[in-house]
Amino acid sequence: MKADGTIVARKLCKSFGSHQVLRGIDLTVAAGEISCIIGPSGSGKSTLLRCVNGLETVDRGVLRVNGEDFGYVEKDDAYHAVSPQRLAEQRSRVGMVFQQFNLFPNMTAESNVMSGPVLVKKVDRKVARERAQELLAQVGLAGCGHKYPAQLSGGQQQRVAIARALAMDPSIMLFDEPTSALDPELVGEVLAVMRDLAHHGMTMLLVTHEMAFARDVADEVLFMDEGVAVERGDAREVLANPREKRTQEFLERVL
Amino acid sequence: MQELQAEHKKRITPKRPRDYLCWAAAIAVVAALVYTTVTNENYGWPVVFSYFTTDAIIEGLLLTLVLTVVSMALGIVLGLLLAVMRMSHQAPISGLATLYITFFRGTPVLVQLIFWFNIAALYPNVSIGVPFTDISTPVDVNALMTPLTAAIVGLTLNEAAYMAEIIRGGFASVNRGQYEAADSLGMTGFTRLRHVIIPQTMPAIIPATGNQVIGMLKGTSLVSVLGVAELLNSAQSIYARTYQTIPLLIVASLWYLIMTLALSVPQSMIERRFSRSTRRPAAVATATKESLL
Repeated sequence: MKADGTIVARKLCKSFGSHQVLRGIDLTVAAGEISCIIGPSGSGKSTLLRCVNGLETVDRGVLRVNGEDFGYVEKDDAYHAVSPQRLAEQRSRVGMVFQQFNLFPNMTAESNVMSGPVLVKKVDRKVARERAQELLAQVGLAGCGHKYPAQLSGGQQQRVAIARALAMDPSIMLFDEPTSALDPELVGEVLAVMRDLAHHGMTMLLVTHEMAFARDVADEVLFMDEGVAVERGDAREVLANPREKRTQEFLERVL
Repeated sequence: MQELQAEHKKRITPKRPRDYLCWAAAIAVVAALVYTTVTNENYGWPVVFSYFTTDAIIEGLLLTLVLTVVSMALGIVLGLLLAVMRMSHQAPISGLATLYITFFRGTPVLVQLIFWFNIAALYPNVSIGVPFTDISTPVDVNALMTPLTAAIVGLTLNEAAYMAEIIRGGFASVNRGQYEAADSLGMTGFTRLRHVIIPQTMPAIIPATGNQVIGMLKGTSLVSVLGVAELLNSAQSIYARTYQTIPLLIVASLWYLIMTLALSVPQSMIERRFSRSTRRPAAVATATKESLL
């Protein structure tokens, strides 16, 4: 099974009822590339991200993740939805980190990290536990494995969530405003973990309001407004010298 | 030096007249109650004690417990089925469940019990068989619907409607993000339900179910109208003979009280353990044994 860590979207469309959230979005993320989606709230950034691991279904357009059509197979007449098992398998190769962490409150930090490998991949529990401890150490939480999410700070919870996603050995990591729910003094520790991950060559697609992080770490920035990709290009270039008027206005407000 | 002394002075809130008045009023009420229960011979305390552990009463007590356990267990199973139907995305299925719940919660249990007891008037003969074959057995509904069967059927069907809503509420209390997190890890429906969702529904479902058990214990007294010899009916049978109505009602009441108090101890422990469960997740984990991980 090839999992080359690429994302390709062409003319992606998505509506909620009569409201068009995505209006023909194009997106390309190469293997090992870090891509940031920025834009005002309600612009469809999160929806686009959620489409990439099937939390939202796509109405129209092409979506290829890890080199294969995601959630659907292309046939002569139309795209046909794949079986739930096949979809789950595709999802397991795409890690997702949520704004609200979404750790399982009934499991310890370690069990959270083990949950994917043990319950989905049927990895031996002992092996999974060792791997979970490695990953918790990697995100700076060695020795916190026995704690429940409620006993951890927001920043710690989000780092556990990152470790949980990494435990599935994904080829792509998606981050949906990973620091937006955090107290300002806790943002840094989560960004540090993400920066570390970026340096290790993980393909990353993230929705963020952290412009400094985008400038330092991202290869490419996509500015979205009202479901349209307004401007796309080299991260430092777009953030420093935006060409489009809407991008300029947005950056003036947030910087 | 004056100021330093002031710093060391204790702060006192003086008792006001109303504080004493409340105590006086409460003591007066209790004293009056004690006085009347002791001096009024119509209470018949000697009779109460002589019948308290008589065979008929103990047998009635056991039947009350059996009715509670059986109706509750069946009610939970049927309630779970109804809750699943109610949450179905298939409109006809959830509609059926809604209809059931509305009907059984909207009519009195007493009426339902009498209705089931007399169901033979509506369907005198039912035949149970395998569809499209000749295999079938005629059933005489009148013979089948004994008072005990009617009691269990009536209590179970009514309880199921309430349990369905409790279970549905438990599922509704789980954040949508939990489903998404499980999905994003590639979990399929059953794994997600078994390891992520169900454990999180328990803090809402278990305490409410405990309340239902206590309610059911007292509710079983209604089946006395069908002539099922449970606790109340046993007491009634005795006072129909001896005309010692009040003492025997006291016997029944004391037993109900003992049983509900006995149940309320574990119930309040459960409630304390599950209160604000999101802040005390260890309780959720231990209650569900967190078996696999």
